[in-house]
Amino acid sequence: MSEVSDSDLEAYLDESLPAVEMAGIEAALRREAALRERLVTASGRRDAGVHSLGAIWRRHRLSCPSREQFGSYLLGALSEEEADYIRFHLETIGCRYCQANLADLKSQRLEASDEAHGRRRRYFQSSAGMLRR
Amino acid sequence: MFRGGPRDGSVISEAQLRAQLTTTRQAFSTRQVFSSRGCRRVHAFTPMIGEGMVGNRQFDKVLVDSIRRGDEDAWRELIDRYEGRLLAYVDSRLRNRSSSQDVVQEAFVGFLTSLPNYDGARPLENYLFSIAAHKLTDHLRREGRRPTVPLSPGRSSQASWDLPGRARPASSIVRSGERRELEADALSAAIDAQIQRWKKRGSWRKLMCIELLFVRGLPNKEVAGRLGISEQDVANYKFDFLARLRTVIRKQGLSEDVFPELSQS
Repeated sequence: MSEVSDSDLEAYLDESLPAVEMAGIEAALRREAALRERLVTASGRRDAGVHSLGAIWRRHRLSCPSREQFGSYLLGALSEEEADYIRFHLETIGCRYCQANLADLKSQRLEASDEAHGRRRRYFQSSAGMLRR
Repeated sequence: MFRGGPRDGSVISEAQLRAQLTTTRQAFSTRQVFSSRGCRRVHAFTPMIGEGMVGNRQFDKVLVDSIRRGDEDAWRELIDRYEGRLLAYVDSRLRNRSSSQDVVQEAFVGFLTSLPNYDGARPLENYLFSIAAHKLTDHLRREGRRPTVPLSPGRSSQASWDLPGRARPASSIVRSGERRELEADALSAAIDAQIQRWKKRGSWRKLMCIELLFVRGLPNKEVAGRLGISEQDVANYKFDFLARLRTVIRKQGLSEDVFPELSQS
């Protein structure tokens, strides 16, 4: 596996790297004591209150396109530059939140409305009792 | 009062810092985004907001306020709006639909449980994703897929938590959790302002360069290779970006010691 950056280790702690990379780091952590040590150091830095630009950028989703922009992207209605940036953000940066938004938008076109409706009804029924009046 | 941050010896209280952040947000106003749902589904819940299109943030605020009052239709609306993306996020890792649905359900319950502590400052989607991330992490640990990070650094001393540089050890600067949040918000606002400037000017290469450097932590040479630009260009963009952030941080009376990357050349 290619060298894991400190930024990627912080993203691993936040469960925000692409799924394949998350699994890769997990496997590497089992094999490599040095990587485990680096992860502990990254976690300790965070607990000590040291700020990371990358972590703040990810957590606040500062460059994430809006859901509406993803809709336009799927329709091919963005400029070439904007579409190019969205592909970069999804595939090179690998923003998992944006990948999830895009996957959700795509699935809305394909998924039977009954299936989604049933699923959401179950979520509601299992949690509505917790609403405070 | 917090002491020890600004180099000129002056102090900045947390109240002053909050006021500065409010001014900064007003000066670099967030983008207005509009609901993608339109009129796909009509519920009894109707946000009591002014006519015409409304921003997602405003809609979410009204939604959450209604949920706090126990409005079931509002809760159903929130589930409808966010369930799909949360499920996609979780399922990308678990690859098991049934388990993913369980984790998303835990996330929704977790949201309701944490509602008294949610002040709305953070966008609702980000907040929900962070809860889903915690529930997902718990699930992966229970499955034995995700190793637990030990608290002790082992052979490393606490000093190794501090990044090398001329900054004094950040770990020695004791700050409240609220203070740390304010610092993060200040830096977030400064980065956001720069990103919006780049987008407005069509400076996509600069945005990509900085994002690769700091979000992915790639070295200058690799960034240059991926973007087809020179290493000197990468170094220049990085220098300008960090210089701008340092200026903003200093103006707000924050200590650069808690942002060690800002002292990179």
